Amino acid sequence: MINKISSSAFLHFLTLLLFKQKGKHIGAFLISVMIIFLLSSVLFISSSLQNSLLSTLENQADFTVSRVQAGRAVNTPIKWIDKILEIDGVSNVSPRVYGRYFFTPRGKSFLVVGIDFFDEQNSKTLKSLVETIDLKSFLSTDNMIVGRGVKSFLSEHYYRDYFSFKTPKGSFKKVKIYQTLSSKSDLIANDMIIMPIDLAREIFALAEDEVTDISFNVPNDAEWDNIITKLHLLFYDVRVIEKREVKKAYENLYNYKGGVFLILYLIAIVTFILILYQRYSMTYSTDRKEIGILRAIGWSIKDILKLKFFENLIIVVISFVFGVTLAYIYVFILQAPLLSQIFLGGANLSNSVVFTPLLDYGVLVSIFLFYAIPFLSAVLIPAWKIAVIPPKEAML
Amino acid sequence: MIREFYILVSMVLFLVGFVAVHYLTHNNISSNEILCSVSKITNISSPSLSVTFYEPRILFFDEAVNPAYPQMDAIDKMDFIYDK
Repeated sequence: MINKISSSAFLHFLTLLLFKQKGKHIGAFLISVMIIFLLSSVLFISSSLQNSLLSTLENQADFTVSRVQAGRAVNTPIKWIDKILEIDGVSNVSPRVYGRYFFTPRGKSFLVVGIDFFDEQNSKTLKSLVETIDLKSFLSTDNMIVGRGVKSFLSEHYYRDYFSFKTPKGSFKKVKIYQTLSSKSDLIANDMIIMPIDLAREIFALAEDEVTDISFNVPNDAEWDNIITKLHLLFYDVRVIEKREVKKAYENLYNYKGGVFLILYLIAIVTFILILYQRYSMTYSTDRKEIGILRAIGWSIKDILKLKFFENLIIVVISFVFGVTLAYIYVFILQAPLLSQIFLGGANLSNSVVFTPLLDYGVLVSIFLFYAIPFLSAVLIPAWKIAVIPPKEAML
Repeated sequence: MIREFYILVSMVLFLVGFVAVHYLTHNNISSNEILCSVSKITNISSPSLSVTFYEPRILFFDEAVNPAYPQMDAIDKMDFIYDK
């Protein structure tokens, strides 16, 4: 079978033609690779980020409530926890203390998160996250665990072992850097500082009866709407955020950025297809002469269309494979330098996220079809138009 | 088929094989486990967006406020897309 294919006269002529006229195809090949590379890179980044974020959402609380004043979120009274606990069907009610600490001299900010390490579940998770941690020594003095972005920023500013936080009361709080989080956590924790909840409260000057917000679970999701009504009846100045809303936001998070690139892709592909169409339709083009000669020596219209179809299909497939492979290497091996900043920003600490490889086959097939069909039509339609006219006229 | 074509096809197959091997052997579980641990302990799953101080860092929970014009909506406000 393979022998039969390799000795086929048609295939021999086809491949010979392809390499004899490589100068003609190289332009189309390079432009195709570039377009497919850019579009695939963007789609790889957005789908990888989306997938990672959605997987982390599984561990999130179903609801988060915070107090609002004049339309803005303010500190939430801790006594709300008791009231929430009175609602039937509610579990795992926990306060959250977090906020952004602004480092004025450089105009950068960190996300400080206070954790209750005396909670058994939290201490267990921390041990799985930082294997070498000794909780006793960690809690004995003021210590913190920092993300990689924070660590490199602080090191650059000579805070190698500790950092002095300036509290709103005007005093300084010296906190030792206990450990740095793994690079694999950069997607969430690059600018994060994890510390005991009381220390975070001190740094933000939160009163003892205040927290940033309160999160809780409602295991029966049929009760979710009912719980929201109950919360609004309990508190008049409350803002309730549901996990399903956050999930929806994450699903749409990078759609608009992907959409912008899709529009650019459409513009680029339409322009490229027009150029291709134009090239084949030109009155004095070499393709016209070539088709004319083939017709003159007895090739049928069907044979010519078959030749042109396979000739361009090879270019389409090869440029698609090159474009997608380059995009894969750029995103998942080189971690998308420059392009990742469009998705994660570059105004604060620099973030070098490790993208988790994810190939969405549906997206790849769509890219191929959106690229292959216009490409092949832009070549086959003019080729057919030339093939149907008498060879003498075509060669003129 | 000519020799150059075989070389080209081998290159394409090598590229496909390279991507397949990298994709199948990459340890996705450990990356996701670490991210899940961080989100479990902090209760925060928002991406670490490198944004200026007055732009939202934690999606949904932060609000964008320009310190110079606190009453002005941020330019990235997109409730119509997020379907809040």
